[in-house]
Amino acid sequence: MEFGTIERELHIDASPEVVFDVVSSPEHLREWWPDEADYPSTPGGAGRIGFGDCSLPGAWVQFTVIDAVPHRLFSFRWTHAEGEVAAPDNSYLVVFELEPVGSGTRLRMTESGFRERGWDEAKVAAQYAEHVSGWDFFLPRLAPYSIKVAASR
Amino acid sequence: MSVMVDDDLWSAIGDPTRRRMLDLLLADSGATATGLSEHLPVTRQAVAKHLVVLERVGLVHGVSAGRERQYRVDQVQLARAVAQLAEVGAAWDSRLRRIKRIAEAIQREIDAKNEPRQPDDGSARRKPRRPS
Repeated sequence: MEFGTIERELHIDASPEVVFDVVSSPEHLREWWPDEADYPSTPGGAGRIGFGDCSLPGAWVQFTVIDAVPHRLFSFRWTHAEGEVAAPDNSYLVVFELEPVGSGTRLRMTESGFRERGWDEAKVAAQYAEHVSGWDFFLPRLAPYSIKVAASR
Repeated sequence: MSVMVDDDLWSAIGDPTRRRMLDLLLADSGATATGLSEHLPVTRQAVAKHLVVLERVGLVHGVSAGRERQYRVDQVQLARAVAQLAEVGAAWDSRLRRIKRIAEAIQREIDAKNEPRQPDDGSARRKPRRPS
């Protein structure tokens, strides 16, 4: 695993065509992440996604499509400041890679850019704590915590 | 949603020696710098410095007991740190679970349209096979 990246992989019992649509179209994005999504699903397409009460200016986060290869790859950058062009030093990069497996799809997600945004070594390491050496420390404490969170909601 | 991160807290936990120290403190419900250094490949002085960092962000509290300070983990602050650390990864885990659920529901709809399911009375299996 490359340092500075969150990686996940999962199998989905749906064709790459369907999965691609779900991860890339603004209509579907709204179902699994933001409350509002407004961007063209084509490379270079700049737009924004909104969270919570979208009449408030702070609700919007910049979102730019980097790559869109139907049924195989969709990537975007987010969190850059409004008016700025998305680049490695001002935003996080999310990449979805799709691969057909039987009648389903293996979906691989990576989010990177933590180091490029100028976070210091310690913070990058802390971000990793969850995924590498820190699992033995944090995992046993996570279960009770999530039960608590679920109960308070 | 974008995740709010407490920089100092993350820095404090970012160091593997300090994470190991927290583990030791939790296991023994408190220890001194000398006691901790006996379980770690670093000097008592290094342990003392790490304890200062941990105490500054409120992850441990030291109480004078005899010649040395006795340190304990602040459970509330630890829970806060754990929550922050887990949040970035957990946020993606739940997004991906939703992606899976949505895509599979759409696929089931497509499948149902393309091949309307016949009630299975077992007749298909009883049919004699055609010679191939």
